[in-house]
Amino acid sequence: MSDNDTIDPANGGKVIAAEYVLGVLGAEERREFERRLPREPALAAEVAFWEERLGVLADAVAPVAPPPHTWSQIEAAIQSPEAVRRTSLWQSLAFWRVFGVASATLAAASIAALVYIGLVPATRAPLMATLSGSGGQPNVVATVTGNNLLVVPASLLTNDPRAIELWLILPGPGQRPHSLGLIEPGQAMRLEIPPDLTARLTPEATLAISLEPPGGSPTGQPTGPVIASGKLTRL
Amino acid sequence: MDVDATRSSQLAAALARVAGGDRAALRLVYQDTSAKLFGVCLRMLKDRSEAEDVLQDVYVTVWRKAASFDPARASPITWMVAITRNRAIDRLRARAAGGRLEPIEAADVVRDPAPAALERVELAQQQQRLARCLEELEARQATAVRAAFFDGATYEELAARMNVPLGTMKSWIRRSLLKLRACLER
Repeated sequence: MSDNDTIDPANGGKVIAAEYVLGVLGAEERREFERRLPREPALAAEVAFWEERLGVLADAVAPVAPPPHTWSQIEAAIQSPEAVRRTSLWQSLAFWRVFGVASATLAAASIAALVYIGLVPATRAPLMATLSGSGGQPNVVATVTGNNLLVVPASLLTNDPRAIELWLILPGPGQRPHSLGLIEPGQAMRLEIPPDLTARLTPEATLAISLEPPGGSPTGQPTGPVIASGKLTRL
Repeated sequence: MDVDATRSSQLAAALARVAGGDRAALRLVYQDTSAKLFGVCLRMLKDRSEAEDVLQDVYVTVWRKAASFDPARASPITWMVAITRNRAIDRLRARAAGGRLEPIEAADVVRDPAPAALERVELAQQQQRLARCLEELEARQATAVRAAFFDGATYEELAARMNVPLGTMKSWIRRSLLKLRACLER
């Protein structure tokens, strides 16, 4: 008999996630599976399930102190340009640190530069926001001019299979988030703000980004974790 | 339990700082986790210098990918153990064919000693649940699952080591995983 006969096809698609986590797949199968992961959130969720459940087995392994020189080698490795070069410029925190964009003032200055060079139409005094996560580093810089929203993701998680959705929360009590659309990590993009929102848009409104299923939140409200947010201020 | 909950949230906070490019925070993470992860590397690779290489690689990966760690999805240690096992498995696959295929000793069948961190209530509960679910499997199949986890062995290697046809081994492992899935969800 074939060894696949007993596998329920409905489960068969998911068993590979367990096989991957368990570690029985060959090198090529592993690569192939890893290529599917970013596009298939159901598989990624299954991997997370098994990593959480099987991972506890590792607790039975006796800890062994690594030799002292290991840390200095790690330290050297993360200082080498190689460690930085593997990420693109937009995603590279080092880039943003070097250029001091961590401060909102400088971010404002760089947006002002964009206005100056004509990337942002300067018809109205633009609003600007730096969206940061709990770590405090700027994740996304956004500017609003009229109904035009320019989003520049600085450092965003890139290997998370979930979609990244941008939300606008108008100032005032009891305001619900309005979806402005999906953004891509490492890609500056222009979004249009619906006219009814543009009319009510003032400083102190908040922009936030959340992780959502592919295609965006199914409910029209954020369903996943909010990974960064920031208030709009006048530029 | 509170001690470990605190430890886990401190680790998550340190990872958030690592995501912001804080090297001192990576050092904290390293001090807190390297012995455990090195133990896992040694257990899987059974070669000290390869284990050291992989451990290094793990922390460089943590440095680069800390921003993608989502505390809402996984505990810091689960995330890091997963990175470690993946790196170790990749290293095992990269080894030239004809590596050592050690027979599975009786010692491997014996349950591992109680983990030192049993006071971690939540973790302990998960371990107990997994142990209970593994017990529901047939003994040889549970042994195969554990050998796969700890040694990162392929189906072919497991079949050779346990002296059963490849198809049988695949069938054992897949059925075991489906049973485990059902049991863990109960």
